[in-house]
Amino acid sequence: MVKLRARCVVVGDAAVGKSSLCHMFRSDGAVFQKNYNMTAGVELLEKSVSVPETSDSEFFIYDSPGRELFADACENVWGQPSVMCVVFDITCEASFTSCSRWVERVRSHCNGLQVPGVLVGNKCDLSFRREVDSAEARTWAQTHGFQYHETSAKEIGQFEAPFLSLAQMFHSIYQDQIHTIKNVL
Amino acid sequence: MLDSALNSYEALVVLATSSDENYPAENIIDGKTETFWISTGLFPQELIIRFTDNMKILTISIHSYNIKRLRIEMSTSEDADKFETIAETEFEQTESSLQTNDISVKVPNATHLRFVILSGYDHFVSVHKVGVQS
Repeated sequence: MVKLRARCVVVGDAAVGKSSLCHMFRSDGAVFQKNYNMTAGVELLEKSVSVPETSDSEFFIYDSPGRELFADACENVWGQPSVMCVVFDITCEASFTSCSRWVERVRSHCNGLQVPGVLVGNKCDLSFRREVDSAEARTWAQTHGFQYHETSAKEIGQFEAPFLSLAQMFHSIYQDQIHTIKNVL
Repeated sequence: MLDSALNSYEALVVLATSSDENYPAENIIDGKTETFWISTGLFPQELIIRFTDNMKILTISIHSYNIKRLRIEMSTSEDADKFETIAETEFEQTESSLQTNDISVKVPNATHLRFVILSGYDHFVSVHKVGVQS
């Protein structure tokens, strides 16, 4: 079984729950921050994800600030991303509208490489305040070649899914690359 | 000696920063371009080859795929420390064939060669064959 390494950039508007999602994933659900702390710099987290019977992926997660004031300066830390996770808040239409802008931003660092992504609609435990329709988000994800996940970073069993998707997509790029090389020989 | 397998001269790959058991680093010194080592994500990536005897090297030939920037360093000590850069180069991208490059160097006697792959044209790069000529 092979161990892949990937740089995972997590972006989205401020206060959509990027850091919560990252920390819950990193700690296997042990750490949910109840108080909001705005991320000002990029926080780097490391976590391995196992895709059963195919591969392990070691993710270096770059939890980036959503507030514009800090975002610009932090882009330089990303380097060349391998995968991206774009997060919005299902109770905030504006955070969904911003997603295209975030994707553009990440893409400008990708040197034209294929970089798999997931769209995450967070805070789905607050569905009574929902402003973004699931179907609409799913359509957006499809047009960008992304997978769509709705999560509540608060709930066990949901925050892993986006990262598992990314690990699977990154592994299939690896397989494709091996296939391409063998065809060249 | 450019075309013969380095491992027949008892050279060894003593370090590789990626490993997929199906594509082991030894594949780069078996003299065949059909077998290869592949990186498993992120840059830089490193490979170190150790020679049993001190080697005089004038040309290093590399068959690879998707490597962009490469730095080659040598060490003259037994312990693989104190590396110094002997070449830094950028390969052109190829699609339907391997990248084939001969790099001229001046190495009077080396015990180790270190290949540092600084960037690639894809997430993953492969090295198929490394040869040296004295």
